[in-house]
Amino acid sequence: MSGPRRPPLAPAALLAIALVPAGVAAQTPDETPRTSPRYLFGLDVAGTFGPRDGDAFFNYTDYEHNALRLARVRLLAEWRATGRVSFLGEVRTEDGDGAEAAAAYVRIRPWPDRALTIQAGRIPPVIGAFPRRAYGRDNALLGTPLAYQYLTSLRPDAVPATVDDLLRMRARGWRPSYPLGTSANGPGVPIVSTSRWGTGIEAEWRVGWVDAAGAWSLGSPAAPEALDRRAGRQWSGRVGAVLPVGLTAGVSGARGRWIDAEVLALVPADRRRHATQSVVALDVEWGEGPWLLRSEWLWSAFDLPLGPDAAGPIQVGTWSGFVEARRRLHARWQLAVRAGRLAFSRVQGTLDEGRRTPWDAGVDRAELAVGFRAGRGVDLRAGWQHNWRARGRVRERGFPAVQALVWF
Amino acid sequence: MGTPGRVATILLLTAGPGAAVWSGDTGTIRGRVTLAALPRAGDRPAVADLSGHRPAASAERARAVVYLDPAPRQAFDELPAGRARMDQRGEQFVPRVLAVTAGTIVDFPNSDVTFHNVFSLSAARTFDLGRYRPGRTGSVTFERAGIVTVFCDIHAHMSAFILVFNHPFFAVTDADGRYNIPRAPAGTHTLMVWSEIGRTAPRRITLAEGETIEADFRVARAP
Repeated sequence: MSGPRRPPLAPAALLAIALVPAGVAAQTPDETPRTSPRYLFGLDVAGTFGPRDGDAFFNYTDYEHNALRLARVRLLAEWRATGRVSFLGEVRTEDGDGAEAAAAYVRIRPWPDRALTIQAGRIPPVIGAFPRRAYGRDNALLGTPLAYQYLTSLRPDAVPATVDDLLRMRARGWRPSYPLGTSANGPGVPIVSTSRWGTGIEAEWRVGWVDAAGAWSLGSPAAPEALDRRAGRQWSGRVGAVLPVGLTAGVSGARGRWIDAEVLALVPADRRRHATQSVVALDVEWGEGPWLLRSEWLWSAFDLPLGPDAAGPIQVGTWSGFVEARRRLHARWQLAVRAGRLAFSRVQGTLDEGRRTPWDAGVDRAELAVGFRAGRGVDLRAGWQHNWRARGRVRERGFPAVQALVWF
Repeated sequence: MGTPGRVATILLLTAGPGAAVWSGDTGTIRGRVTLAALPRAGDRPAVADLSGHRPAASAERARAVVYLDPAPRQAFDELPAGRARMDQRGEQFVPRVLAVTAGTIVDFPNSDVTFHNVFSLSAARTFDLGRYRPGRTGSVTFERAGIVTVFCDIHAHMSAFILVFNHPFFAVTDADGRYNIPRAPAGTHTLMVWSEIGRTAPRRITLAEGETIEADFRVARAP
């Protein structure tokens, strides 16, 4: 129950097994010329090189990698078994740290003439917009928005017994520890994790400019799970509109148990239902000519049951937002900037002279990057990211970084 | 681009007046091009999508371009500065393969209900029209001969090819693979075929005044 739980490679193995008979079938003569491919493959290689950050941990993810000092390889595959059924998968490795089946699911379109899609397996997240474009060319900057990466001091496998326990962990999202639950070292969670996808089922329906999606999956927005039976279950949904004025907007939400069942067994029985994370998000994108503007705002509430010595359960809130702009200067050159903030609600303990104070240290981040499109599938970027934190040993730090992206 | 032999093809397209002699008389070259295989779609798995909606791969991928290379000497005297059109419809470029003479202005109307972008990083013409809304048209002048691969920055599955020639003696195959180059100058020429999957070996032909030559090709996928 310590650290990030890496799911086994079972989904990838299942996908590989599923692909074997497909490969055999592909060798049989096909008299009818096919205009649509039956197999699709893709490869993403991303190398980001920035300075080490062994004391501030501004860019560490819930997979314990530094997002600004990271080598990531993604292998994508799709087998279109029939006109209505496809199998998709992604195997990923970060910093050579083993391979993981980051995605493995079946995509079904029950009716060819209706824009209804059902996906089941380890599926992409529904909430927000950034989680579905977190890699490669779709991210104009080198870093990740705070809501989707910065580690808060909350952990699903250990919770505070009192408000003071929580306050002592401010600005320590890299290694928070609490009396209820595991005593092993482990990272906190972001508001919404983009590093991992949960297992579940989702449906999306498009009508004209509007699309609606809903999903039921394991874990919570902060800690999606692949196969863990201790994890909670979450509902999530998004309604979006792609308007002909170049504006895309979406409202999304999610709600699910974020604390592990084993941890809840340690808290008073009448508080075990206080273990829910709720998220509401708004995402907007507008682009015209050389400009592309994006913004997302997320509000989240985490229930904390606390221990028997506390007066009762509490709910802590956090909100985060970012605004980014990209301007294409030339067919090959682009300039992008992003400003973001992560803020926390106030709680009252005995620390800080009993004053109401944010339960974690707020963070501001500004980022700038210059991108060069060397080829259709080759991007080179250089940028600077600056971070400010309200508390902690390191309260301000800037990071230069360069990045190379290759995909096909 | 995924087209083997691309560099060689560009060299051929951009070659200046060669050994072919144009007598002022013309004939017709026609025939059929068959592809040993259809080009790969070039699409990527849309793993992060909630729907993965993609338009069906079009039979337009089977188009090929037949052209004379090098160009007859006098061909450069009367190059028409024309206008051509490559539509964006159903999240596809239509036509997918376009052949024009150098100096042609190509219009890229957005006939979809969503925004599109058109850009190219090809050496023959590097450009980016930015994002533009339905109903609007972006235009690009293609001054240099060569192969220009065109993409949409918003829809990664969209791509197309524009072949720019220094002469007017070329033709794009129709849906059946047939082509027709009328008013080709009489003389001895080298006939070339370009397609997404590769190109054929050059074929020498001698065209007499008023003659119609049938020349069929089969394009194998480049290794």
